[in-house]
Amino acid sequence: MPQSDPALPLAGIRVVDLGWITAGAASSTLLLDLGAEVVKVEGPGAPDPFRQWEGADLSTDWWNRSPFFAFTNRGKQSLCLDLKDPRGREVLLRLLEGADVLVENFRRGVMASFGLDPAMLRRRFPRLVIASISSQGETGPDRDMVSFGSTLEATGGLAALTGAGEAPVITGRDVNYPDQVVCLFAAGAIVAALLERDRTGQGAHLDLSQRELTSFLLGEELIAAAAAAPSPRRGNFDPVEPEERLVADDKGGWRVEWPGGSAPVRDGVALAAAEEFIRGAAVLRSPDGSPAKGIPFRFARRPLAVKEACHELGADNRAVLQAAGFSAEEIDRLKEAGVLATSPRSVRRG
Amino acid sequence: MPAPLAGRRVLDLGALCAQRPHALAASMAAKLCGAYGAEVVRPRPAGGEPFAALPPLLPDGSSALDRFLNAGKRPGPATGRFDAAIGDGAALAAHAAGVPVKARLSVFGPDEPDPPMTELGLAALSGLLGIVGEAPPAPPARLAGHQIAYSAGLATCTALLAALRAGGEEMVDVSLLDVAAWLNWKVAAGVMVIGSAPVRGSARATWFTVPARDGHVALVYQEKDWPALRDLIGDPRLHEERFATGPARGANRAALLEVIGPWFAARTRAEITAAAQARRVPIGPVKWPAELLEDAQYRARGFLAQDGTPSLPVGWDGQRLAREMEDAAV
Repeated sequence: MPQSDPALPLAGIRVVDLGWITAGAASSTLLLDLGAEVVKVEGPGAPDPFRQWEGADLSTDWWNRSPFFAFTNRGKQSLCLDLKDPRGREVLLRLLEGADVLVENFRRGVMASFGLDPAMLRRRFPRLVIASISSQGETGPDRDMVSFGSTLEATGGLAALTGAGEAPVITGRDVNYPDQVVCLFAAGAIVAALLERDRTGQGAHLDLSQRELTSFLLGEELIAAAAAAPSPRRGNFDPVEPEERLVADDKGGWRVEWPGGSAPVRDGVALAAAEEFIRGAAVLRSPDGSPAKGIPFRFARRPLAVKEACHELGADNRAVLQAAGFSAEEIDRLKEAGVLATSPRSVRRG
Repeated sequence: MPAPLAGRRVLDLGALCAQRPHALAASMAAKLCGAYGAEVVRPRPAGGEPFAALPPLLPDGSSALDRFLNAGKRPGPATGRFDAAIGDGAALAAHAAGVPVKARLSVFGPDEPDPPMTELGLAALSGLLGIVGEAPPAPPARLAGHQIAYSAGLATCTALLAALRAGGEEMVDVSLLDVAAWLNWKVAAGVMVIGSAPVRGSARATWFTVPARDGHVALVYQEKDWPALRDLIGDPRLHEERFATGPARGANRAALLEVIGPWFAARTRAEITAAAQARRVPIGPVKWPAELLEDAQYRARGFLAQDGTPSLPVGWDGQRLAREMEDAAV
């Protein structure tokens, strides 16, 4: 197991990452960037859906080649473990004995179906910080409502207030804003829970509702609404910057202008070519040169960096289990039984 | 009751930042520190609290923005011992030289000039403005509220918490542009990894809002959900080739809306949501802030205070954080 940098804030912290797509997986990536060791655990019957990608050549190990998966999950150890098998569940429980943080964003009820419900895990591992990231939270009448990020923009109040025309606007699949922004908050809540554990010795179960975060980020509008003050859709007018304007340029594009400055409305090509973007940290490079999800903050005394490229599915099966105290024979038996794997099950069967 | 920053003092220089995006981001980060149990001190300039006059304004003339960001903070001078300070470079240099952990907001990063900038300008430069909204020639759509500054505030708080846990001295730097571009990573990565970026309103954009009888719903679904959605609406024309795939539906959006529009327009948001959710299609109602005050889910979870103030959006072993509840009572 690679040693984490002792100078970094989360050095020595071990994270078991059951996170999928962005909301869970990229929250864990931020913990990795802050110095934690992260083991990403995926089942052979249920790998991270981000591994499926348009353009995959199905005659290859396509599950190791998804560009956006590699971008998001660079540097994590990969354990491919069948949690639906009781032996797989036992392996996970052994890993959690040595872990500090568990991150998951399954549909509510899935953890319980694995026999891993958070209340049981809290009792069994009192120092563990369990971060459950979900659409609606763990409780309440809408707990089981299915949502993507843009659904939550609608149900959380953001869409009603967004849009330059007649209709409310959602960001859609190219942004899914609530899935992105929750990572910034969830990683902070996890670090806060580790600080609390440093004080009290107690872990925590963090119940993170992405819909609540979406509404929280409109807090002043909720306060205004409660006082019966108008909370209309203002289009591109920001009431705190009344002199600002969005104007069409002569090339079919748009510019933002305000007293003292202006900025072009960039598309992806213009963004990727912009000098301040290239010098910035929003997208970085893995040691193999491939673009990697960047780090949205910097530390002057403890440089943060993308230290490793993405590991192949199950590449760390043996190393992770050995570190957790499993013998070579036990690991071999789990592999033969298909509890450990290095490819999705549908492919192996096919 | 958990209070991870209990006993820590945080200096909020948000009111002393030269530019509004920095001020809003610093104020949000300090608010989060307060919710985590820190004592937050907020010095004000000679002219008073700069957010006091900013919209949205309440019927009594006070500012909802000021209340949201600053409730529970203690106005006071930047004197005494602090564990952390949050502000722009100039405010930190002037008021926080001896504070061990500092978080510094900038437009482009620590070694770059800090030109005059607005949140909409940052959204434009990061590509986050250009990707949201209807297809050109319609203008792009700014995300409502202060998403650019607040997301930078979230990043700042996360990094600050980490620096406090590490101990010793640290300067945390948060670039407002980096955070916005980080959120908008699919656009940048599209160019850098795949060679083509998503663009606003392309045929890929098959999610949008649709008028219902009493407002709008967000039409959100995956390819695997299409048969369920098609059968729910039940119009035989939806079996035609022009609607068979995601890209086809995106390219024929106007025709699709002509077919499905009446079904949505005849039903309430609640009826549509219930029917879609019964088939596990992730459609949801577009709700206004005023409606959220009465929302059953938020009520059951104790998310909003009587005055509309949201709790920190995390349940901690089933509880809301105590400081938040005190704030909400203010």
